[in-house]
Formats: sequence, structure tokens, C-alpha cells
Amino acid sequence: MSLVLILNLIWQISTLALVALGLAIVFGKLRIMNMAHGEFVMIGAYAPVITASLGLPGWLQLPVCILTVALVAFVLERSVIRHLYGRMFDSLLATWGIAILLREGVELIFGRGYQSVSPPIAGTVTILGADYPAYRIAVIAGIAVGFAVLAWWNRRSKVATRIKAMVGNPELAQAVGINTARLSAGAFVFGCCTAGLAGLVLAPTIRIEPMMGLDYLIRAFFALVVGGLGSLEGLAIGAGIIAGTQSLLGALASQTYGYLAVLTLSILFLWLKPDGIRPSSR
Amino acid sequence: MKKITGLLASTAVALALTGGVASAEIKIGVLVPDSGPAGLFGPSTRNAAMLAAQQINAQGGINGEEIELIFADVGVPPAEASQAALRLWKGDGVAAFVGMHDSAVREALLGRFNGQVPYVYTPVYEGKSCASGLYVTGETPSQQLAPVIPYLMEAENVSKWYLIGHDYNWPRDTNALAKEYIAEAGGEVVGEEYVPFTVAEFDSSLQRIRESGADAVLITLVGGGSVGFNVSFAGFGLDDQAIRLGTLIEENTLAGIGADNAGRLFSSSGYFSSIQTEAAATFASDYTAAFGADAPPLNGLGQSAYEGLMLLAALAEEAGSLDVAAMDAAAEGLTWRTPRGDNTMIGRHMAQTIYLADGTGGAFEIVTSFDAVPSSEACDG
Amino acid sequence: MASVLLPASLLLAVLMLIPELFGDFMAYQIGLYLIYGIAAQGIGYLWGKTGVLPLGQALFFGVAAYVTAIALRDVQGLGAQLVLALLVLAVLAGAAFVLATLIFRGRSESGPYFSLVTLALAMIAEQVAGTATGLTGGFNGLSGFQSLAALDPFGGFYYVIVAATVLVSLLLLILNRLPATLIARAVADNEPRLQLLGFPTHVVKGMAFAFSAVIAALAGGLFASHQGIVTPTSTGFALSAELVILAAVGGRFHVFGPLLGAVVVGWASAELRDSFPYWELLMAVAFILVVLKAPGGLAELIERAFRQAWPAKPPVPQPPLEAPPPLAAQAAQPLKFQDVELRIGVVRILNGVSFETPATGIVSIIGPNGAGKTSALNTITGNLHPTGGSICLGDARIDMRPPYRALGSGIGRKLQVPSVFFSMSVSENLTIAMMAGRARRLDYLKPSTFRWRSAALARVLEHPSVPLKDEVTQPVGTLPQGHRQFLEFAMTAASAPPVLLLDEPCAGLSPDETALMTDLVRQYQAETGALVIVIEHDMSIVEAISDKVLVLHQGRVLAFDTYAAIRADPQVSMVYAGGTK
Repeated sequence: MSLVLILNLIWQISTLALVALGLAIVFGKLRIMNMAHGEFVMIGAYAPVITASLGLPGWLQLPVCILTVALVAFVLERSVIRHLYGRMFDSLLATWGIAILLREGVELIFGRGYQSVSPPIAGTVTILGADYPAYRIAVIAGIAVGFAVLAWWNRRSKVATRIKAMVGNPELAQAVGINTARLSAGAFVFGCCTAGLAGLVLAPTIRIEPMMGLDYLIRAFFALVVGGLGSLEGLAIGAGIIAGTQSLLGALASQTYGYLAVLTLSILFLWLKPDGIRPSSR
Repeated sequence: MKKITGLLASTAVALALTGGVASAEIKIGVLVPDSGPAGLFGPSTRNAAMLAAQQINAQGGINGEEIELIFADVGVPPAEASQAALRLWKGDGVAAFVGMHDSAVREALLGRFNGQVPYVYTPVYEGKSCASGLYVTGETPSQQLAPVIPYLMEAENVSKWYLIGHDYNWPRDTNALAKEYIAEAGGEVVGEEYVPFTVAEFDSSLQRIRESGADAVLITLVGGGSVGFNVSFAGFGLDDQAIRLGTLIEENTLAGIGADNAGRLFSSSGYFSSIQTEAAATFASDYTAAFGADAPPLNGLGQSAYEGLMLLAALAEEAGSLDVAAMDAAAEGLTWRTPRGDNTMIGRHMAQTIYLADGTGGAFEIVTSFDAVPSSEACDG
Repeated sequence: MASVLLPASLLLAVLMLIPELFGDFMAYQIGLYLIYGIAAQGIGYLWGKTGVLPLGQALFFGVAAYVTAIALRDVQGLGAQLVLALLVLAVLAGAAFVLATLIFRGRSESGPYFSLVTLALAMIAEQVAGTATGLTGGFNGLSGFQSLAALDPFGGFYYVIVAATVLVSLLLLILNRLPATLIARAVADNEPRLQLLGFPTHVVKGMAFAFSAVIAALAGGLFASHQGIVTPTSTGFALSAELVILAAVGGRFHVFGPLLGAVVVGWASAELRDSFPYWELLMAVAFILVVLKAPGGLAELIERAFRQAWPAKPPVPQPPLEAPPPLAAQAAQPLKFQDVELRIGVVRILNGVSFETPATGIVSIIGPNGAGKTSALNTITGNLHPTGGSICLGDARIDMRPPYRALGSGIGRKLQVPSVFFSMSVSENLTIAMMAGRARRLDYLKPSTFRWRSAALARVLEHPSVPLKDEVTQPVGTLPQGHRQFLEFAMTAASAPPVLLLDEPCAGLSPDETALMTDLVRQYQAETGALVIVIEHDMSIVEAISDKVLVLHQGRVLAFDTYAAIRADPQVSMVYAGGTK
């Protein structure tokens, strides 16, 4: 296996894990099957387009991205999503409608055309004799640090436990003084913001257009299903299996076989190991 | 905001048109992709068609009768698209169709039209369609590749080709011909692969291109996939290793790829907005005059609707009517001029000028052109 | 019968009038919507009744469409084509049944996982259809074949679609009035309860899924003939989602809902697409509103309005019918725990529990919270499988059986929180209980099954103090807690199991009701000679009813003896004085 292949694999796994993280929170914790998840990735990817069209400096891309996504997510949570806790299939249908709404909204503002974003770090670097895009190396490092921080925080903070308590028994959680409305809104907005962040960091390496979200949704769902909804390790393992299968079969056979293998693998997991490799400790 | 102003401009022109042709005698159905993956091309296609109608009516219409366009969105699955077309035909009494849409929709329409209504198909396509009443203005693979591949191999000094496309009919048919032309010109094919529409990452393909030692890549990916591939291609620095040639990379796709990523990216097409001939320049300025400077940018697919209407007008004039049998009889050898150049109808396909453009720097610059290139897809009779 | 024939003939009349009133072209358009509507009706049945949401129904639609296209091109003769069609429907039904039963086996929920499987299958089908150009024509599709029996798609073929629409609707209307659909609804309502009543719910879901698959396939066949072309979009993700949306908008709980949804959505998008540039935005907002404000869809809104004008007549009570005897009659047998261990994750719940009950009598299980009482019952019924040891009833090992086999082994169970079918009426609940362990295959298709009543059930219902008699038509959701306890007891007792497990039957009951419940338990034991095992906290009840008492503490047997002996046991006193309770 060549070094570039391994770097590609790490790139695929880390970006998929970042894309799926928000879905793991929204689907795994809040039990909302968010079909509009990919659209938040899309909005995040438009952040550099927003700053460029407003003439803002490049360093504002991150705050603009987080603010835009958080605002959209908050409005949607208050108006639609909060009615859907505990109604999983209805959440799937309503968020499908939301996905169309967001696509059309972005199209109204920016048009249907493709946008192009330049990477903040251009060119390739040579690692052990292999050329690899410098920007990707930086992103991989950033995601690794981000997940380490998240794992540390997750272990220390009580938020995850509270969310679990809330989903398990909303009345009881309310009775012991958990502000469920604020907690669930916060979790939803946070989940969407990580998706937006994923869009922002991916932006220079992908196509950007209103319809791009669907590419990310399905893979994220399958990564969650394979890994299990319970933990960050599960998320990483799921992303590894899904991205790894696509990458390896794509490299060894063809992308079509890679795609079919990912689907088949997902079906086998859904059938034989519905709680994934790392089930949540419910 | 662009879309809104664009819509307003189009609506204004549409109103002006319908206002001027209240006594229209001939209705023509124009099938455009407003929704779906090709929805990007809807606005420019509409505009190009309206401009054509304006000019045809200004010159007295078709056989002395003014024409009126009725649009339908066919950027939907074939069943819904043929419903939309049938509404125009059976409901609104449309006498002829001009269509800019995918091949699946074309096959569905041909089954419904059954040669009873003239139908001009305008986008780039793979060939192999010869139903009665069908006239094609779009470039087929043989036109885009037969002159271009030997030229590039000579001019850019490349010989090892890697073929990559989406996993469907058009790329496979294109590559089948490309392999012949590459072999004839003394080159070799070092790799060939097809990617599903649903796959958005091309890392393993890029790695394979790197390892194959290819110095030229023929791209038959479409739309967003093409943008994603080309962005990563340059990100990996492969633009130093190989030139790229695309047969469906138009102005919007190039804009999405971005100037940084477009080094040594060539495109072969019957139309670019940067063609410098007098006819093309006039066309571009007419377009801007009619729809404003903010109008959706011109491109080969959108502009093809103009070509389609012009062919329909020329054919109907020659045949003296919009009757399919008369038009079939009049088609062979018909010549007419458009912004693309001098065109000839051969086997109900359009022999036309093919342009090779270089996208380096983010805008197409015409490298060379080949006159009167016929299609190998010509239909009998 | 009028309630079935009247709506079906109305539908037929409306559809037959369309070509006369609006012309052939409109009929052609409506024909396509009806085809989608038929497929959505299948989704409506599966989703509306059993609660299983299929996200890949275009798989069956598309495969049938491709096969139809190939058959219309290559197979000569209408007879051969129709035989082939039946064959294909049978194969697809079989495949769907196997798929769903395999995936649902061992589960008691219809969560999103099965839906995602169907979605992935549809995506595989779409990719294969696009890639296998030789077989399917690839992206450009398979075309160039004649319509079925060479009927004109703009003329005669419309009536074929109408016939199919009316037939499928008629079938659904009849099916909705049969016991089979009652069982299907019970799956969505309370699947664990249904399993404990002896119904293999994975088979029920498998059959419902196969049924919806056949309907989708029928629609797919019509589609190929109507359109003259089949492309990968006919078998993919987008169409699957579209069909679900049609069922949701039209109303999944009603036979005509999905048809209505298909016509309304199809017509609205065709009208708006070319006249209103923001039509997708509008449709998305309308769709979100339907999901939030009218989960039952248009059909339910219409029905509500209709019912305000013409209220429904209360059902006429039918004379009861003596139910057939239970299919597997057993005698009471001793229950034997041997070194039973149960671990969930790292938590040890049962640590080597061993005891043997007498073959008959009342055994109470007591112990502080967390002692493993309910878990012990769960291992008996197969809701949990022990990680060590064995459980035998008589000589038969029962610990590895799934919950739906418990009743067949002679074990009936009442759960801790009253677990009944909350969306149904009392009499529907009782009907399901009567079918438990008694119904044969054909009984599910006979309306007379609704009237089954048994002596064991009558003894509970006709007890002068039991409140349920006057509430038979009421929905269970409106009953007070105590009444639900009696209902669940009646349902469990109805099949007269020789081993009856009762988990806190008196929880939430008033003193009078408690006395009544203990009466009923004793009466049941006396009349059937059954072994009754009761979990109970209240020592006065334990004293009143128990022949023997089993004391569990921290997953172990602390004592197993008569009440008097337990009372005197210093170890037991210590545990209770320890203050856990």
C-alpha cells in the first residue's frame, strides 16, 4: 500500500467522521432522522462565498460559517424540529421537506451555478517521498485535534448524560431541573454547526452548489449505522469502515464496486448488528 | 440575487415577446431543464431560445407565420418529462419541439412522439438516435474528438491517455470512439474507469492516474462530478503531469473548477461564449442587449437551444411546412449559418465547426477550430 | 358489505367519467398518477397499519417495470405475458417476505433500521440498472416495446389502470375489515404485547411487507406498459421517497388517501412547475405543514369534516361465538430454574438462580427493588436470554425460545405497567386475546373470528365487579389505569395458559380493586389448576394468595418456602429491615 493511499484513507475517514459527527448527535441523541444534514454541510461550504461576496476578509469565514448555520438551525429547531422529538419517521419526512427548502433558499440567493473556493494553503508538500496537498494535511491535523478535545470534554461534561436522560424520559428530566427545550435546541444547533464546519473545511476540495448535500447525507447515515450511535470511537470506526471500503475497493477494483460494497456492507450491519460495532450503553 | 434579477429579465423579454406575437400562428414547444441536476442550464437555455424566436419573428417568422414559444420543465424523470411535453403537444397544440435535456428523456419522448411531430434535439449526446422526425444539432463524440485528439497529441506532445467518465451510456460510447482515434494517432490508453453519479470523491482515481503515468486525461464526467474531479486533480498537482480534455466542460463548470485548478484544461465543443467570429460576437452582444449584463452566462448547452430553433426554422422554410415527411425529405444537405459557423445537415445530424478551447486561468481561450466536422452518427434517409 | 362496495363503486364511477369529461389526454395524465397512487397504497397499508416505513419501495416497482418491459419486447402472446407477470409477482413477494422476516426476527420494534435497509437496496438496484447497460439499456433506459395487448396508452390502457386501481382498493377495503389487519395494527400499537400473546410479529411484518411489495410491483408493471420506457429512475431513491411522500400527504391510514395524494401532488406539480418558479419551495412548505399539523394527511382532514356532518353510527354488537379450543393444550407443570445467570453488559442481574416450583398453585416472588424479579420473568418468556444455566418447564427447556413461543409452551404473561393495545377499543383488544393460541391461518380472513369468546374470558368479564362490560366499544386509551389492569389480566387469562405470570397485578389499584384482583387470581388458579407466579410488594396480598414464596435478593434466591416460614426467616427480615423497601 502506497503512502498516498494511506493518506487518502486518513483524509476520507477524518472528513467523513466530521460530517457524521453532527448527525450522530442529532440522530443518535435526539432521535431526529435529519435528512437535511447534508444541506447544513452545503451552507457551511457557502460561507467563503458569503464572505467573498460581502467583501469580508478571509479570517471571518469561520465565524460567518458558524453564525449562519447556527441561525438557520436555531430557527428550524424552534419552528419545526421541536415538534418532532419522539416522532422519528415524522422527523424524517419533515426534514426531507426542510432539505428542499434549504436547497431552494440557497439557490435563490446564490443561483444554481457552481462556486469555487481557493484553499488558504496552496500547493503540495512532500511527505516521505509522496506529494500530498498541504491543505489536506492541515485539515487532517485539525480534525484530529478537534476530536481529541471533544472526547476530553465529553468525558468531563455532564451534557451528554443530561441529553441521554432527557431522551430516555423527558418528563423526569424536566422534573429534576433539566431545561429540556434549551438542551435539545442546543444539541441540534451544535450538531448542525459541526456539519457546517465540515462544509467549510471541505469547500476548497469539492464542488459547491445547492444540490451537493445529498452526497454527504447517505454516507454519514451508513457510517453511524456501522459504528453504532453510542460513542465517538464508534463514529470513528464506522467512518473508517465506510470510507475505507469505498477507498480500497475504489483503488483495487472500481468506484462502482466500491459504492455497491458500501451499500451491501451497510445492509449486513443493519441486519446482523443493528446497534453497530460500538452500541450505546443504554 | 442573480437568479431573481435573471428571472425578472427573462420575464420582461417573455412579456415583450408574447405582446408582439399575439397573433402567433405556430406554437413551438421548448423543453428545458429547470429542475434536477441540469437545472443550472435552464435559464440560459430559455434565454437563448427566446432570442432565437425574437430574431426569427423579426425576419418574418417560419413560412411567413410568427412563432410563439411555450416552455416546459423536463429536468424531471422521463415519465414526468413526457407528460410535460404531451401537455404542450395535446393540450396547447404545439406544432414542433426543441429539446435540451438528457438522453433518457429523449428516448421517452421519441416513444410518445412516434414521428408525428418534428423534434430538434440540441445538447451534446452520444449518438445512436435516428427516429423519424428527430433532427440533431448537438455535437456527438466523433465530432468533438476525431479532429481534436490528433491535434492535441501533436501540439501538446502527449500520447498516454487516461479515460474517466461517469458510469452511463454517454461516457462509454464516447470512450469507445476515443480509443480508436488515440490508436490511429499513435497513442495508447493507459487507463479507463467509470464512476457512479453518487460518488463525490475521486482520490483513488487520481492516485491511479498518477501511477499510470498518463500525460493526457479525457474527462467525460458531467456537472458537479466534473467540478469535484478537476478541483482535486489540481489539488494533487496532477495538472503538472497531464493535460485534461473534456467534452462537456462549459463555462459554468469551469467557473466551479476555479482559475486555480484549471491549468492545462482543454474543452472541445461547438460553442464557447469566447468565440471571436463576427457571427458569434453579434450573437453575444444581442444576448446581453436582450437580457442584461447580469444574465446567466452563455454556454454550449444553453446556446444549443438557439441552434435548435434556427435549424427548425431553416428546415421548415426548406420543406415549406412543419410536416415530418416533408422535413425529412428536405433535411439532407441543408445548409444554414448560425453563431457556431456554417452548418450542414448530414444524416439528420449537424456537421458544424468544432472549437478547442484552453481553460487555463479560468476563462476559455479558443486554441483552434475545425470547420465542417461531420458526425459519424449520420442517419439514413 | 355496503361499506366496501359503495366506496369502490364510487371510485370506479369517478375514474370512468374522467375520459368523458376531460378527454383522453387528461386521462393519460391521471393514469400515471394512479399508477404511483397504487404503489403508494401499498406503502400506506404497510406504514399506516404495521408502522413499518419502507424507504425503497421503488425497488419492487422498478424490477417489475424492467421485467415487464423485457417481456413485452421478447415474449409473444398475452397469455404467456400474464403467466410471467404472476410468476414475477410471486417471486418478488417471496423475496420481500424473506427479507423482512429475516431482518425483523428477534426484534420487537420497527425502528429506522429496516427502512434504511430498503433504502440501500433501492440504491443498489438503481446503480445496477444504470451500469448493466446490456440488460437494462443503462441510463437511457429500455424502450421500443409495445403496450400490454397493444392497447393505446392514450386510450384503452387507461381502463386497465382503472381496473387495477379499483381492484387494489377493493382488496384493501376488504382486508381492513378482516382480523388479519387487526393483528397488523396490533404490531404498530404494542409489539412486545403481541409477541407475548403468541404472534410471531416478524412473520406478520414480513407478510405485510410482501403484500406492499406485490402492490408496488403491480404498479411497476403498469408503469412500463403505460410509459413505453423504463429507466434507472424507476427503481431508485428519488421515486421511493416520492411514493412515501404521496402516502404521507394523501393519508396513510385510509385506503384512498395515497391515491388522493398521488393525484393532488402530481397535478399540482405539473401545473405549478411551468407557471410558478418557486413551486418546489411551495411544495416543501406545504409538505412540512402536513407532517406537523395533519399527520393523517388529506384523507384524515376530509374524513374529519365528513364525520362532523354525518357522525359514524356506533357498531352493532354481534352475538358471541364459542371460540375453538387452544391449538396446543398443555397440563400444568413445574417450572425449574437451574443455576440461571443473566448479565447485560457488565451488569450482573441474576447470579445463579435455582428453584423448582410445584406443578400447580400460586407462587409469589418478593424481594427489594433490583433483586431481579422482573428479569426472572423475562428469562421465562424469552424476552431475555440467560447467559448461563437453564430453565425448564416440565422436561422441556424453554430459556432460548423467542417471546412469541412462550404462549405456545403454555406460559401467559401480564406485564408490570398495564400493556394493552392503546389505540384500539376494549373489544378489539379482547378479539386479539381470543385469537391468541387459537386462530388457524384461515381464521385471520374470516370476519366471524371477531365474535370469538371463551369461557375463561367470560368468567372475568361477567364477574359482577369487573368494570369492562360497559366499556367494550371505548378506546383503551381513555380507560383509567385500574381498568387497564383488569383488561390485561382478562386478555392474558383468555387463552387459559397453564402457567400464568403476573407482574405486580395490583399496582395502581384501589383497595376494592385489589381485593377483586386477588379474587380473580385465586379463582383462575382454582378453576384451571394452573401454576400462577405473581410478583408482589404488598405483604398482605402475598400472605393472602401464596402457596409458596420465593425471595430474591441481588440476583440470588434468598429463600423459597411457605409464607409462614419466610416470615420467620431471619435472613429475609434482615434484607427487608435493611431499608431497601
